[in-house]
Amino acid sequence: MGVAFVAHCLLNQNSKVGDGAHCAGVYSPVIDALRDRGWRIEQMPCPELAFTGLNRFWAVKEQLDTAAYRRHCARLAEAVAAAISVRVGQGEDVVLVGVEGSPSMGVTITSSDPLRGGRPEWPDGTAEHTSGEGIFVEEIRNALARRGINFPRVAGETHALADHDEATQRAGIESVLDNP
Amino acid sequence: MKADERSFRIALVADRFVNPPPRGVDAVAAAAEAGWGVIQLPPDDYPAEVTGPLLAEVAEQVEEFSRHGYAFVVVGGHAGLAGALARVGVAVPDQITPATAVQLIDFLNGRPAPAAGWDASQAPG
Repeated sequence: MGVAFVAHCLLNQNSKVGDGAHCAGVYSPVIDALRDRGWRIEQMPCPELAFTGLNRFWAVKEQLDTAAYRRHCARLAEAVAAAISVRVGQGEDVVLVGVEGSPSMGVTITSSDPLRGGRPEWPDGTAEHTSGEGIFVEEIRNALARRGINFPRVAGETHALADHDEATQRAGIESVLDNP
Repeated sequence: MKADERSFRIALVADRFVNPPPRGVDAVAAAAEAGWGVIQLPPDDYPAEVTGPLLAEVAEQVEEFSRHGYAFVVVGGHAGLAGALARVGVAVPDQITPATAVQLIDFLNGRPAPAAGWDASQAPG
């Protein structure tokens, strides 16, 4: 018996990448096995959730392995290590229960593909296209507004759109340029 | 996304209900039965320098889920939770300190549906 530091998603499948939740919330097969043997449960934070969000893609280790993500994980790891240190100081037996195959939580098996990256493969013009601004553009708009600066005119490169036509794209850009 | 079985419901649960004493209320079992996920709040025996960062991470994750319309409740609470949530601009969810597992399950089952879901108009989360 002791303290089991468990991956966040074992108690909360809502944190999983889309299409990855195996059940509504608590993944009982692992939790029950620990508790049936008298182990305390202590949940670790999910490193991907706060950094890459709920709409993140499935990813391999190489895609997440950036300096910024490393710093994020290091910050979380400090909090977990401090907790483990307390339990070890109390003489508790400690185990860490991860998620094999995960690019973040694998303990003996992770996922890897050095060549994966770039544009996900799905058809052009699918339903993800909708009117509105992107997040960065919205933030630029907000930042300019706070400074009392009008949002500038905009033009767009349209290559990703289903009805993309180079001549139309060019005409649109020229129209913006020519009409202050 | 059809295979994803998440509930979009999350209970923030005090340690004494995650690791209950004998004959105590087992909130993990109750959450599993009612179809809720669990985010565990730091155990009360941790010193402040350990609790603070753990609560901050809880709050950050709650913030992210909240931005996507997930539903929350608090089970049992934690003295530092309100402050941690306030720092990320999230209100403290409705709370219960259950006397029995049945009471907790009834509470969870009686909550309104979350804003998030797999409705075709919504993104995951």
